[in-house]
Amino acid sequence: MWLPIMGLIIGAIIGLLTDIRIPDEYANYLSIAILAALDTLFGGIRAQLQNIYDEKVFVSGFFFNIILAASLAFLGVHLGVDLYLAAVFAFGVRLFQNIAVIRRIMLTKWSTTSKRQKKN
Amino acid sequence: MDSNRVVLSIVFLVLGFMIAFSFRVTKDDGDQGNRLTDRQWEQHISLRNQLIEQEEKNRELQKELNAKQEKVREIETSLSKEAQVFFNMAEDAEKYRMFLGKVKVSGKGVKVTLADGEYDPNEENINNYLVHEQHVFKVINELYISGAAAIAVNGQRIAHNSYILCTGPVITVDGYQHPAPFEITAIGDPEVLSSALNITGGVKDQLVNDQIVFSLEKQSEITMEPLLGN
Repeated sequence: MWLPIMGLIIGAIIGLLTDIRIPDEYANYLSIAILAALDTLFGGIRAQLQNIYDEKVFVSGFFFNIILAASLAFLGVHLGVDLYLAAVFAFGVRLFQNIAVIRRIMLTKWSTTSKRQKKN
Repeated sequence: MDSNRVVLSIVFLVLGFMIAFSFRVTKDDGDQGNRLTDRQWEQHISLRNQLIEQEEKNRELQKELNAKQEKVREIETSLSKEAQVFFNMAEDAEKYRMFLGKVKVSGKGVKVTLADGEYDPNEENINNYLVHEQHVFKVINELYISGAAAIAVNGQRIAHNSYILCTGPVITVDGYQHPAPFEITAIGDPEVLSSALNITGGVKDQLVNDQIVFSLEKQSEITMEPLLGN
């Protein structure tokens, strides 16, 4: 269980230490990619809790969503349409839905556990 | 399960890297001041307004300065005119002093010498060939009319209130007696003065008719002392 958290911390340290400068216009792509990554992450957690978690789906979805979001933003910039707003909207809505589902599942689990404890 | 963990940690590594990187980039942007906060914006606006106000004030002051400079220039012009006037006045005063005999005068001029005629035994009246004061008057008046600046008789300056009297064989100028021959010196244009005296039927002819020895001499340098005591 500690390995993923270790990975997160190491990644954060690397990100803070790297001294790569990217132009301002690419900062948008980065934020979209993060949003996609978070969305996929919470989707994975929800799937785990619903017992329909598939590692292949999760990993492929993680990277594919990041790349898709970034390329969508790229395309939008070049077309003159703010397509990244579509990505923000879609991922944002899904993020909230996923978190809401996770919250309900947790609540249900917690209430059933406490009931069971009362029974005991 | 182990491979699951490894893949998951790679995913988290990528996520952490991206979040941290994005955080750093956004922070840098904030540091660069490209993204202004509301307060900074307001500060900018107020500073700009101040600048505009200052510039307007500057422009007004500049206009005022220009107007003042214009005024100064006018005053200077009038001052220079006044200076011109004063200069002319000073010149006039100098000229008048010269006429009044209060200053030393020197310049070109003529010298007229009037001498009594030769003694003539045939002439019973000696007055017919003596120089009288009216002869001197004539010469002096003619010289003044022709533009003489200063005149002296035997070295004594003639002023505006000088008088010449006939007292026997001599004439009295301002109380000083002068015997013949009389040397009348005049400062002025020698050509004009001499031609005025030499005019046909003029002073010279009249004096010569009165048996007076008349001689005229142009001089390049005549100096007259100022009159004393007035």
